[in-house]
Amino acid sequence: MLYNKYFNMHVKSSMQYRLNTLLIAITQVVISLGELATVWIMFKQFKSVGYWGFYETLLMFGIITTVFSFAECFARGYDEFAKLIRTGTLDRMLIRPVNLHFQIFANNIEFSKLGRVVLGIVVSIIALMHLAISWTIYKVLVLISVYICGVVVITGIFMIGAGVSVFTVENLEFINIITNGGKELSFYPINVYNKWLARIFTFILPFACFNYLPISYLMGYGSLPQVIYAISPLVGSLFIIPCVLFFNWCIKKYQSTGT
Amino acid sequence: MGSYFGLFKMHFKGEIQYRAKAISGALTQFFWGVMYIYLYSAFMGRGIEGFSTAQMVTYVWLGQAFFAMRFVNVPKNVCTQIENGDICYNFVRPLNLYNQWYFSYIGSTLASTLLRFIPIIVVASILPASMRLSLPVSLPAFLLFLIALIIGMLINGAISMFAVYLTFITLSTRGSTGIVNVVVGLLGGVYLPLPMLPQALQNVLNYMPFRCISDLPFRIYIGNMDIKTALVQILISLAWLIALIIIGKLLLKSSLKKTVIQGG
Repeated sequence: MLYNKYFNMHVKSSMQYRLNTLLIAITQVVISLGELATVWIMFKQFKSVGYWGFYETLLMFGIITTVFSFAECFARGYDEFAKLIRTGTLDRMLIRPVNLHFQIFANNIEFSKLGRVVLGIVVSIIALMHLAISWTIYKVLVLISVYICGVVVITGIFMIGAGVSVFTVENLEFINIITNGGKELSFYPINVYNKWLARIFTFILPFACFNYLPISYLMGYGSLPQVIYAISPLVGSLFIIPCVLFFNWCIKKYQSTGT
Repeated sequence: MGSYFGLFKMHFKGEIQYRAKAISGALTQFFWGVMYIYLYSAFMGRGIEGFSTAQMVTYVWLGQAFFAMRFVNVPKNVCTQIENGDICYNFVRPLNLYNQWYFSYIGSTLASTLLRFIPIIVVASILPASMRLSLPVSLPAFLLFLIALIIGMLINGAISMFAVYLTFITLSTRGSTGIVNVVVGLLGGVYLPLPMLPQALQNVLNYMPFRCISDLPFRIYIGNMDIKTALVQILISLAWLIALIIIGKLLLKSSLKKTVIQGG
């Protein structure tokens, strides 16, 4: 399969710079540990927010770190789309007889992000071991769907940013609000924020669908019928549809920069 | 001295061109500000001893307004110079390398700070009372805030030279700035305002250079310490500034002896 060829190529090229890839991965893990330390200090100092304690929040931290870094690793092409435009790589992609989305996925794979993926998984496991969850088969399925939904939503967000950069050519800093902003917002239960902020990051940008809502289901929290919490990752994943449509529409409007 | 000031001016002017970037940045900063205020309020409840919610709100807005000088960067031109070997031109110039970099860095940091802080200050001052940036506690406190802020920027420059030094060793700017910024972020009150940390930790951090960058000026502004303590702390940060610059110069000198120029 073509993707395998691309994949092996990326593996080979990052193995050429093994030390560099490793150093970048370690740095990023250290940065994540810094963020984790912040979360820990908050709970050390203030014990809890509402009925949410440290380990529930730790699980959120683990989930968002895993899915965000996973998306950054494999959907890097969308995240750095402005670069593809500026260097003219996009022009070359458009004339090839292969699906554009496939090419974007295949063109950039950044293995250094996997360090953070590992950290996220480790943190998730530690949190799950400390939480008193009465496991059922549904809860296991919901937990798995959480990670899938997370990767799908973050990829969708990267697509929006990529679509916008078709018009701006530069990576605009305020796209940061929905990428890194959403990421940092998701370190904590979304109900600590203002109602409007929480609504935007639930209904428009469905970050809550892969942390706050399904974790409420796992823990048995919340006032809505449990089934709503349970299917939220599935509903959240639908977010990718408008994202793909938006991205395709932007590509139709694309004019080459001539480089 | 004149040529160093020339470098400062050149990088100041270079950075001041990016106005659209600054506006887009201000929007982002505004979002972070709102988010942090909600987050910290939820945790703090009615406030903690010696750090009221109103003080926290002001601290957060100041942090967003002066964001450009809170973190450490390796100047872009230095990165490319180290990576592609152009750095050798800096060696042959009859100027001190440390000073060249230091003045360029301060120039661009000052410019991006000046571009960004006004819109945040203006918008944050007209928000509803619970989210509003308050005025400084007193005129002397405001003047000391300005002095501490300038020293803070100079200390930021001195610490960034350590990141440059690390870049020399690792040849990876992303790595070196990342690590230095985790230290500055955690110990300097950027990730979490220092008054929210456990007291035992604060007692140590109050005498470290990292808090001098932005935590000290902000706390003078919100009246978290009296004028006398503020003066003592400013003297401590001046001492740190001198010490950091001397250590930085010595380190750079020793690393230059072993430098291998990349490429050509």
